[in-house]
Parts: sequence; structure tokens; C-alpha cells
Amino acid sequence: MAHVVKSSKFGAFGRPVLAWVVGLLFFFPIFWMVLTSFKTDADAVKPEYLLFFKPTLENYLNMTQNYDYWRFASNSVITSVFATIFTLFVGIPAAYAMAFNPSRATKDILIWMLSTKMLPAAAVLYPMTFLTKSMGLYDTHFLIIIVLSLINLPIVVWMLFTYFKEIPKDIIEASQMDGANTWGEIKEILIPLAWGGIVSTALLCFIFCWNEAYWTVRLTTTDAATLSKLIEGNRAPEGLFFGRLSAVSTAAVGPIVVLGWFCQKQLVKGLTFGAVK
Amino acid sequence: MSNRVLPRLLQTPAVLLLLVWMVVPLGMTLYFSSIRYVLNSLRRPEWTSPSLSNWRGFGNYEYVLNSKDFLFAIQNSLFIVCSILFLTVVLGVMIAVLINKSFPGQGIVRVLLISPFFVMPAVNAVLWINMILDPVLGLQGIAVAGINNILELLRNWPILGGFFSLWPEFEPMSFRATQTSAIAVITMVSWQWTPFAVLIFMTSLQSEDQQQKEAAILDGASAWSQFRFLTLPHLARPIAIVVMIQAIFHLSLYAEIEIVSRGNGNKNLPYLIGEFSNNNIGAASATGIFAVILANIVAIFLLRMVGKALMD
Repeated sequence: MAHVVKSSKFGAFGRPVLAWVVGLLFFFPIFWMVLTSFKTDADAVKPEYLLFFKPTLENYLNMTQNYDYWRFASNSVITSVFATIFTLFVGIPAAYAMAFNPSRATKDILIWMLSTKMLPAAAVLYPMTFLTKSMGLYDTHFLIIIVLSLINLPIVVWMLFTYFKEIPKDIIEASQMDGANTWGEIKEILIPLAWGGIVSTALLCFIFCWNEAYWTVRLTTTDAATLSKLIEGNRAPEGLFFGRLSAVSTAAVGPIVVLGWFCQKQLVKGLTFGAVK
Repeated sequence: MSNRVLPRLLQTPAVLLLLVWMVVPLGMTLYFSSIRYVLNSLRRPEWTSPSLSNWRGFGNYEYVLNSKDFLFAIQNSLFIVCSILFLTVVLGVMIAVLINKSFPGQGIVRVLLISPFFVMPAVNAVLWINMILDPVLGLQGIAVAGINNILELLRNWPILGGFFSLWPEFEPMSFRATQTSAIAVITMVSWQWTPFAVLIFMTSLQSEDQQQKEAAILDGASAWSQFRFLTLPHLARPIAIVVMIQAIFHLSLYAEIEIVSRGNGNKNLPYLIGEFSNNNIGAASATGIFAVILANIVAIFLLRMVGKALMD
């Protein structure tokens, strides 16, 4: 009995308090970044203005002037959106084939796709630079879109596969009886039925594209450079510009963090390939 | 059935794209790794373009194996990955068990906790190394200075002052230094990935058998033995999956290492490849092949461990 009483006491008061403390601790760096973004560069490094200061929007207003934020942001949006669309365009038919017309090789193909993610990107750094430069694709939106798509294709196929598998096969077979062709089946039956799953796959893919920081940095210089490149290029080590650095960082991660809040539940499914329920 | 052919063909674009994406650059890496190939050489200009006549066999591999950074880079890669895995899994299990039961504001705490996972790596690194860990301007510097100021005041106390004057001045730590930059990277990546572990463990905990738990409580099982013999075995599979996914991501860590110290004292294999790529493509490619081999060893090991779980 003693244990039950003790644990319920902890449960009533200690657990919520501890949980809140942990939650706030983990969120603190983000909170700090947002807070600092409203300080001037001079105030941001003064201990006396740690928490109480005169908030200013100056950093956000000067973002275009200081960092050319909008060019990088629009590159991020363009590459992430088109990469997501292209990945779904290739991934949906593949996942459809694997979920509803599996062959003996399907299992191996899926595992193989996953294993391509394990190849260290750095191993092919120079060949990629060499190839893209010689084909004239270096630093173009097209290249970044293709690379982002290929990086995320395995995860997207896996995710869609787990969603599609939940659709009863009878429905698909019934439509085959009615004489629907394959395209009709995908368009009229599969996509409407799996719409929720497809949307969360797309959101997750978009988030990964947005946050990608290896190829987007290494295969671009200016024209197709994304926000990752902007931040990595401006890590002022002397830290004299905490205010403006925070503002541009907040603007770079803000939309994605909010988007992430909405698809946190799907994230589990997507990243564990349906193996954790 | 012939109407099955078209549906099956639908996976070919995806498979072909990935195959090309994997085979072509990797083949080139393999080729470059066995020839002499540098970007700039005044003495040997013939080495500046890839050609079979510059064949070097396993020479580049030997060169890389004997270079002073190579073994360190492998050790450091494994050290960073293992530390992050240990921290995120232990913290993840603890936090997931903590917030699994409902309490006021559970939803908000969940949202607060998961947020770091969506921060882009470059921002994560810039934020931590500058605004939090910087020894002078960051929160660390400000906190250490604050403690020293308080100590200074305490030393002037009439009687107890003598006790506090025995205390040393605290020194802030620089996380860009040779010995500490790995710690900075481990800290920031663990901050980002613990939420991921929590999220997955929490999802798994929701499907834990409650009746079994109640029976255990009636039998007088302590909270610890419930955790040890019921919860932990239930979490075995999600833990395996968290380990696998993180190993994939962290073996190719780059942005954080670059931003924290430009690899000073803290190179991993991808970083070493990046450094070689500035001039010695042959060595960079050989290192790349070593990185592929290392990743494959880890991958085979991990896929064995969780492959079955994935296909169930």
C-alpha cells in the first residue's frame, strides 16, 4: 500500500511540476533565440538587459538589408515545395505497387531503399560537385530539387507504404472488378482514401527538405542557396550580432516548428516506418 | 495475371532513380580513390585531371590509413554517435515515462518538448555555440560571471567570508577548444534528438498492457520493478528503432561540427572527407570508401536487429 500512496502523491503534484520543468528546459533555447531577436545587437550581449529590455523590431525590419533574407527564404520554399511534389509523384505509384501488388522482391526492395539512406553523403561529395559542375547544374534550383527528392524518396515510400497497407485490399480489388484501370484506381480510390496519410507524408517531407544542411550548402553558392546556407555562412564567431542573428534564425525555423507541432503524431509513424504503434 | 504487370512496373521509376543516385557517384568515388587526383599541383600538373594513367591502386587508401587524422576521425565519429545515442535513449525513456500519465497541460508540455526536433541543424549549432555556450557573451559566460560576483560579495562578509575566500574563481569553459568541441556537438544534437526519442517512446507506452500493470500493482510490485520488468521490455523495439534511425543520421553529422570549431579537435569522417576534398580528391575518395564501409558495418548490424520488426 505504501507504494501506491507514495506514487499517487508524486502523481498529483511532483509529476506535473517535474514534467513542466523538463518541457520548459527543452524549449528554453528556442525561447531565448526568439527573445534575443527583439533586442538590439548592443543590448543582446549586456547582462543587465538579460530579461528586461526595450523590445525592438529593428532586427526583423533590417533582415533584408543585413542578410538578404527573402532571397534565401524563397529558395528554401521553392526547392522544398517542388521536391515534395516530385517525391510524392514518384513515391505514390511505387508505394501503391508495393502495397497492393507485392512480389517476392518487395520486402528486399524496401529494405534496400532504406539502406541507401545509410550511405554517408560525404563519401560522394566530390563526384557530385564534379558531375553537377560539368553538367552545368551546380547552384541551380533544379539540382537542389532533384537531390532533396532523392534523399527523401526512401522515407516517403516507406511512409506511404505503411499508410496504403491499412486500406482494405477488397476496396481496390472491387474497383478492379468494375473495370477501373490502374491510373483510375490511384486517382479515384487510393488518393482520396489515403488523403490524410499523404498529407502528413508531404508535411514531413517538406520539413526534411527545409532543414537539409549538407547538399544545400555544398552544391550551391548564391542562386539556389537556401536558408541553411545563409545561417551557416553567418555564424559570427565573435558574436557581436546576436540580435540580428537571432532574428534571422527565428525567421528560418519559426514556420517549420509551427508546422511540426501539427504533424507530431504522424512523425512517429513516418520515422519508424510504422513499426511503432 | 497480366493486369498485374503495369501496377508492378509503377515502382520502377523510384527504384531506378535511387539506383542511379547510388551507383553513379559511388562508382566515381571508387574510381577516384584508386588514381592520383589533386585539384592544384604546380609540380605535377598531370595529376589535376582524372585519368587512368595516374593509377595508384591502393596507394590512396594507404595514405589515408597512415594520415594522423584518420584513426582519430573514426574514433571520434563513434564516440559522438554513441554518446548521443546513450544520452537520447536514457533521457528519452525517463521523460516519456514521466509525461505519459495525464496531468494539467500535458498537451502543451508535449508541444514544448517536441519543438527542438524541427530546428534546422545550422540554427541549432549557431544558437548553442554563440548564445548559450560562449564563454564571454553567451549565457554560460554571464552565469559564471554572476556566480563570481556573488562569491566576491560573500568574501566580504564579516565571519563567513574567510570560508568563501577559500573558494576559487570560476572559469568559463570554451567549447570551441580542442578538448571540448565534441562535448558541445553532443550536447546540441542530444537536445535536438531527445524529443524524437520521447515522442516515439510515448507512442509506444500508450499501447502498453494496462491490465498486466494493474495485476502487478495488486501483487505488490514496486514502481521500479514494474518499470524494469514490464515497461522496459515493452520499449525494447522502439529503442532499437530509435538507435537505428539516429545512427543513420549522426554518422553523417557535418553542419554542427563545422560551425562549432571548424573541426578543430573534433573531426569525424565526413568532416575529414570535406577537408581532403579541398585538394586531394584521391584521398578524399578513399576516405569516402572507408566511410561507406563503416556505415555498412553499422547498417548490417542494425538492420539485423530491427529488420524483422519493420516487416511485421
